[in-house]
This record gives sequence, C-alpha cells and structure tokens, in this order.
Amino acid sequence: MTDHPSPRRTARNSGYLLCIDCEKLHRISQEGQHCDRCGARLHSRIPNSMNLSWASLLAGILLFLPANLLPIMTFKSFGQGEPSTILGGILHLLEQDMLMIGLVVLIASIVVPVLKIIALTILLCTVQFRLQTNLRQKTMMFRVVEWIGRWSMLDIFVIGILVALVQLGNIAHIEGNSGATAFAIVVLLTMFSAIAFDTRLIWDNGMPEADLPPENTDQKDER
Amino acid sequence: MVNIAMHGTPEHLTACHECDLLIEQVANQPGEDVICPRCHARLYYTTPNSIERLLALSVAGLILFIPANIFPILSLRVFGQSQSEIILQSAMSLYEGGLALVALLILLFAVVVPLFQLIALFYISSTLHYRWEGRLLRQAMLSYQHLRGWGMLEIFLLGVLISIIKLKDIADLDIGLGLYSLGALIVVITLSSIFFNPHQIWHEIDLHRKQRYADD
Repeated sequence: MTDHPSPRRTARNSGYLLCIDCEKLHRISQEGQHCDRCGARLHSRIPNSMNLSWASLLAGILLFLPANLLPIMTFKSFGQGEPSTILGGILHLLEQDMLMIGLVVLIASIVVPVLKIIALTILLCTVQFRLQTNLRQKTMMFRVVEWIGRWSMLDIFVIGILVALVQLGNIAHIEGNSGATAFAIVVLLTMFSAIAFDTRLIWDNGMPEADLPPENTDQKDER
Repeated sequence: MVNIAMHGTPEHLTACHECDLLIEQVANQPGEDVICPRCHARLYYTTPNSIERLLALSVAGLILFIPANIFPILSLRVFGQSQSEIILQSAMSLYEGGLALVALLILLFAVVVPLFQLIALFYISSTLHYRWEGRLLRQAMLSYQHLRGWGMLEIFLLGVLISIIKLKDIADLDIGLGLYSLGALIVVITLSSIFFNPHQIWHEIDLHRKQRYADD
C-alpha cells in the first residue's frame, strides 16, 4: 500500500459515481439525476465545492476579528462592571487561579477556531494548487477538523446560561454583547466550509481526468 | 482490517466516500470494519441488532427529553433572591437582550435539532422493526444524516459545568433535576449515534421496499 499518486481506479474514471447520502453506486451517466434509493441528487463531486468552501472560510476569517475585538458579555454588580472580550474573559479566569477552566475555554474559543481555519486553508490550497504530498494525513486532518469544530460553540452556550441565570436586577446582572454574534457566525461559517469541502478532490490530484481505456482497467494492480 | 480485491462485477462494487477509490465489496463479520486501502476511511461495518437498539434508545431519549427541558438545570440564590434556568431560557434571555441570532442558534442546536433527530430515529427504527409502510423513510434518513454534528447537547452540558465553576464563588448554586436528565439524555443520544449505521440501514430500507412491492 503505497501513497504515491499512481493512476488508480476511482469510481469517476471507471464510469461510476457514488451517492453521497446513501452510498449507492450509480453509472456516471446519471449525474444530476435523483438517486433511486434515497432521492438525493447525484453528483460525482459536490458541485461548486471549492467556491463555497473558500467563500465561507474567507468570510469566517474576516469575522474572526470583530469576534475577538468586540465584547461578548458584560457582568454588572451594583451598577459596576465592564464589558469583556473572549480573551479578557480567559485572562480573568486565569487571574482567579481557575487554570483548568481557563484552559478549556482558551482551547474551545481560540485554539480550535484558529487551528480549524489554518487546517481548512491547507486543505483548500492542496486542492487549488494540486499539491500531491501527505494526502492520507490531510484526509485525517479533515476528519479531526470536522469533528472538533463544533466545540467552539462552548463560549456561546456559557453566555446563554449566564445571561439566563444571573438576572438579579441591581445586585448582579449579565448581558450578552455583539461580539457573541460575530463569534457564533465564525463557528457557523467554518462548519459550512467543512461541509462544502469534498475530500475526494484531495485525491483527484494526479488522477487522469479522462476515462481509462478499457484494456488498461484489466491490468494487474500491484499492491 | 479486511483485505480488498480490486476487480469484480458492477453489482459487487462500491466506492470510498472519502477518496472515490473503486472497491470490490467483501463480506465482513460483526465487529469487523472494512477500511479503504487508500485513505483508511471506514467503508462499512456490521452492527448487531442495530434497528432494535435504535428503537429502544430513541424511545428512552424522547422520554428523557421532557424532564431535561421542563425541570431547572441550575438555580442561583443571592441575598434571598433566587433564579432558576431551563435550557429554553438561555435562548429567551439572549433574545430579550437583543442577540436574536445567537438565541436562535442556541434554540436550534440545544433543543430543536436533538428533538428532531430523536423523532426521525424513532420513525426510522419503528418503521423498519414493525414493517410499517414508511412513506417518509427517505426524508427521515436524509434529515437525520444531514443533522449529524448539529445537535450540541454535550457542548451545552460542558457550558453548564463551566458556568457552575464561574459562579460558585459569587453565589449559592443548586443543581436541578433537569441537569441529571440532561446527562442521561446525552448518554442516550451518544449511544444512538454509535449504533446508527447508515450503510446497513439503507440496505434494510432496500429490503423493506422490496418486501412492500412483493406484497402488493
């Protein structure tokens, strides 16, 4: 099992396509028709995958700035208190010696979104510039990104819970601010970007575009 | 891992959903995963009694959903004043505070999506188990599959734990029945997503439909 991109038989260059929803194999001539098992529209590759994925990712990167610069919530006690940003909230936790909880919030709110943006950029560049190295590692990276991205919603849920709970008029009072909206949209956009991305495009690099001639497909595959 | 041969008739072929490699299907034992030789994605596997397990879990989940949403998760007491919170209120208070979009996302991810997924799962498993007609099987399967990853109750639970730690020095907190129900609900939902085997269920739907046509 070697990793070098020798022409292998894929569904596409053998005249088939796989329904992405129910994983039934169809003839490639059925492109654009509906799957007879699940009713979803059949496509050999997700249409406009690169455009949608790039667009969501770039919009996410842009909104990452207001998400971190604008305050996400304000804690007021007896009329005193200032709005705090994501980073401010984490520093506040660290000052109070809540190291573990500060780390959890730091990972969920800053480390994961940044790593996710970097990983998606690497994946999109791989396809865009037809890079052919470490394809298996990149597929693995996508699986991690897809799984871990949703945990960034953690801070949003914390804000929701605190706002609902700490409503004691003048004594103590927490309200949400617009940075939370920006941050929620960042998480949403990076999730959309991962969904729009078609992992099969990574492996299309170095693949012959046209159908293999029939005598070629019967050759013995050395593995 | 099962070794996979490369040549065969179209009926026995399948393709890897992650890298599009064309693969000849091989038989596998329960507990044995069939893995793509090129990108190592899990192609298909067998879950014993998958439908029956999903039916039991979805019923349990639908029952647990009620206490998790009507009993308070946390109560806070300061200077004789008390405030308790259910999941829905996290969304409501943010909406009243002007953050409508964030409120909508919390409502979707922590209430609507988990409930909808449980209903879809109950519909799929009961239809296949009792061999009902199941006009909406396709739609239920597609909705469940596309909503995977958008139900975020476990993240909500972690948020509750962080809120407890943040508030514990400022005020007295009481953990409500809702939090225990939420914990149990998350266990049930996680188990059901482990036992949900799309490849196998679509195959069962194929069989289900063939039997229906044969009866007519």
